Amino acid sequence: MVDQETIALLMKGINGVTWQAVVMILVSLALFYLAIVKDYEPLLLLPIGAGCLLANLPLSPLMGEHGMLRILYQVGVENELYPLLIFVGIGAMTDFGPLLENPKFVLLGAAGQFGIFLTLILALLLGFSQNEAASIGIIGAIDGPTSIYVSGILAPHMLGPITVAAYSYMSLVPIIMPPVIHALTSKEERAIRMAYSQRKISRRTRIMFPIIVTAIVGTLVPFATPLIGMLMLGNLMKESGAVERLTKASSNEIANMVTLFLGLAIGSTMVGADFLKTQTLFILILGLLAFGIDCAAGVLFAKILNWLTGGKVNPIIGAAGISAFPMAARVCQRLAQQENFDNFLLMHAMGANAAGQVASVVAGGVLLALMGAGG
Amino acid sequence: MYTEHLGWGLEMTVLGMGLVFALLALLWLLLTIVLKLDKEEDEPAEEAARESTAETERPATAAAGEPGEPLPARATVNGMEADLVAAILVAAHQHRQTLRRQAAPPVRAVWPGSRLFASRWLASGRARQINDWQPGGR
Repeated sequence: MVDQETIALLMKGINGVTWQAVVMILVSLALFYLAIVKDYEPLLLLPIGAGCLLANLPLSPLMGEHGMLRILYQVGVENELYPLLIFVGIGAMTDFGPLLENPKFVLLGAAGQFGIFLTLILALLLGFSQNEAASIGIIGAIDGPTSIYVSGILAPHMLGPITVAAYSYMSLVPIIMPPVIHALTSKEERAIRMAYSQRKISRRTRIMFPIIVTAIVGTLVPFATPLIGMLMLGNLMKESGAVERLTKASSNEIANMVTLFLGLAIGSTMVGADFLKTQTLFILILGLLAFGIDCAAGVLFAKILNWLTGGKVNPIIGAAGISAFPMAARVCQRLAQQENFDNFLLMHAMGANAAGQVASVVAGGVLLALMGAGG
Repeated sequence: MYTEHLGWGLEMTVLGMGLVFALLALLWLLLTIVLKLDKEEDEPAEEAARESTAETERPATAAAGEPGEPLPARATVNGMEADLVAAILVAAHQHRQTLRRQAAPPVRAVWPGSRLFASRWLASGRARQINDWQPGGR
């Protein structure tokens, strides 16, 4: 005969189901849908969805003291190891050549960070603490690893929604950017053609670039050293050509493995009781706003450059001064071609986009320095 | 309370954006200096190509001379005509380059960004933009 105690044990799972857990399981299904059907950042949204699903199942052993998800979180998120390892891979995959051809575009990357600070002000006015507001603002870097790194230090309890917002909006670049660009530019401006410089970038310069950036940024903003150091380490390995195996491992095996661990660990922070709050909704809205402000500020700054150069800069490329690489540049190229099919802005936009990559890391470091954290 | 928050936020914005702009402007300056100092030297391959062109044009020059003038003897390598050996070598080299080009980025034969092996789409886009034939720069 089955006694009451056994029945209670068997029913423990069903009894442990809460409405919050059910909602979060639906959220995980939405993430699966975005990743699998819509192909929006599947490499990250799928593991995040899986982590969210596994963490919200009743009495999930994976979330216990020695559970796998808990261990993954402690090993790589709590100490910011995963985002830094991912940065090595990003550096090994990024070509800064277009930026080196036109170094002045580095300023477009700076303009693309306005969203961080303006969103910080809005978050403060909505009642978030200073650390929380800075963490929400960093979504405006449109850079997943930077967002995780900075918010992991300043407001670890908000890591889940911030990461989901950062990666979701990165994947929504083709949807969010065009209306902002259309609203701020005229048809004539979007049709401006930009000539390419015939400058050849020597291998020596390509090798010196990551070293110079690391030395300068690391010295002036020590808080940004981990981020910029790892990004540029990956790039140095690639450009030197001396360590092909390490470059390949960083951009493939290590990046893929860490992406999986990171996604699962972040997903595991999306536990219903903590996630389903009004502040999560605010974070998602403010993140979207930060993205919009970044694009607008970039376009407006490019318009100023266009005016200063006598009409030689297409304002569209200003919107590429964010970190979503290379998606933002591709969207700019598509928009330019809509006005003039022969217009080929891709490499200029890639230059601005590569600048956005460096600028977002610098902005993250500056934010940490201003908040007095992360040393 | 709101004024206090606003004041602090504005201070952060001015300081933060000021620092980001200042740092990146410094980076721009340094990169410009580096690019000015470190100009790409002529690739040795181009020099070699010029020499080999002069070499291969010698028989043609001879052929264009007086009628009846003897052509220079055709060089051979291990009994095979040197031209044939050269053609085989070029074909094998091209094939190897193509394989490497199609391989993963870290083992590419040419540095990323090089125009030597840019995709046809990228190369034609760049060329169109540089050689602008449309009136009014549009």
